[in-house]
Amino acid sequence: MAAPVSRAALEDRLRDIQSITDAALSRLDDRDLLAELLERTRAVLLADTAAVLLLDFSSGHLIATAAAGLEEEVRQGVRIPVGRGFAGRIAAEHKPVILDHVDHSTVLNPILWAKGIRALMGVPLIAGGKVIGVLHVGSLTPREFTSEDLELLQLAADRAATAVASLTAQEDRVAAEALQRSLLPSTLPVAGGAEMSVRYVPGEGRVGGDWYDVFTLPSGQLCVVIGDVTGSGLPAAVIMGRMRSALRAYALESADPAEVLARLDAKMQHFEPGALATVLYAVFDPGLDRVRICSAGHYPPVIASPGRPAEQADVPPGLLIGAVPGVRRRVVTVGISPGTLLCFYTDGLIERRDQRIDHGLARLCQAIKAEPPDTACATVMAALVGSEPVLDDIALLIFRRQP
Amino acid sequence: MTAEGGGLRWMGRQAVVTVPTEIDTINAGEVRQTLLAATSRDATVLIIDMSGTTFCDSAGVQAIIDTYNQAAATHTQLRLVATAVLRILTLVGVDQLIPIYLTLEAAQAGTPAAAASTRDPDDPE
Repeated sequence: MAAPVSRAALEDRLRDIQSITDAALSRLDDRDLLAELLERTRAVLLADTAAVLLLDFSSGHLIATAAAGLEEEVRQGVRIPVGRGFAGRIAAEHKPVILDHVDHSTVLNPILWAKGIRALMGVPLIAGGKVIGVLHVGSLTPREFTSEDLELLQLAADRAATAVASLTAQEDRVAAEALQRSLLPSTLPVAGGAEMSVRYVPGEGRVGGDWYDVFTLPSGQLCVVIGDVTGSGLPAAVIMGRMRSALRAYALESADPAEVLARLDAKMQHFEPGALATVLYAVFDPGLDRVRICSAGHYPPVIASPGRPAEQADVPPGLLIGAVPGVRRRVVTVGISPGTLLCFYTDGLIERRDQRIDHGLARLCQAIKAEPPDTACATVMAALVGSEPVLDDIALLIFRRQP
Repeated sequence: MTAEGGGLRWMGRQAVVTVPTEIDTINAGEVRQTLLAATSRDATVLIIDMSGTTFCDSAGVQAIIDTYNQAAATHTQLRLVATAVLRILTLVGVDQLIPIYLTLEAAQAGTPAAAASTRDPDDPE
């Protein structure tokens, strides 16, 4: 039976809990919060070391990220595979581990036993139901950690998980935005007789995998690409960047738009298995009197000639990129007279959850006429977006052959 | 006919998975799991019933593509029923992989003529 707990002991414990859940901690930025939290955790548990390892999802390794009394772990870039050793076991099994005996048979990281740590206690960091890392404390003298110690450590871990999740989300967003900005052409190439204007709006303030690209080839052909990688945030932006440069490389090698997309598809399936993307690739002749278009699961452009209603170009649907190996797609050639406008866009422009796609397409066709691209972009965005919040990314590129 | 959780039911060795009204990043993982489980459970034919589906985003398309790739490995014949989302499935080329029918009955019968859209990509229209 448990011994009666003295009032003083209860007050100590309450102070310990407050030290870890202290609201003042929230005023620190997330990185400082993690360092301060480790310091306080070490203090309240009377431990000698405290460390956080975060899970790197791409490699499946835990990486030492912050430490108190064990700074060498971070400085040496310690990596522990999930499932192996002390921290790896905590991450794999989603549950706390206490070790009263530390040596190479129980702990993978030599820094821990070389330092003379005699006892270890670790808990998983869990955010959104997933393990995102491990928090552990260690003692340089023999010690048996108690269930009360474990509760305090779990409390600190919950606090750390919130900080880390927020830090990761912020860093990912900043990185994705920087990547997106560096990849979308800020100035469009000047091609004789072509006028162009673009718009890009990230969905709900979160960058996704939409992109457009415009470049010229040594032959004088003008190429327009518009695409949409499945997913959002940094992973989608990274894949988008790789697709963009791969497509540019294949465009230099092959004059056939279907061949360029086939090579891009093969590259994606080999190096980015599981990623899906829609891409539309259009190659304008140097004189701009015709364009060859190939679609990999992407909406065809809307085309408008002076004095005629706008309509969707008749582009045969082709399978999206990343689905199945060895697919051939067809290329369609469309004639362009002076003053003709082509509107390239991603699904965010026309898809609304509560409406059929035909409705969005019809609205787009109504909004478009053969006017200067800058005006046309403004008209389209006003008609289709207006002041609604944008849920999905929107990329819009309007081309016009000079009248 | 036996009902099971996750929208899977059996008619002999034909499995039918009913896809929710809306499929997006929130529930696509669950739909994918149900579809993959059905392909690995001795079904000769798996019908993906999207007749009640009105919204399908890229996460939904991904679930269907993953099912297609697994069904190829397990030799499960896939059929799909769609009306409201037929256009999006045709746009991304799903109809080039899986025959799409307008009704569940037509999909069960599996008559090629009943297919709503099975355009051969090499067919010059």
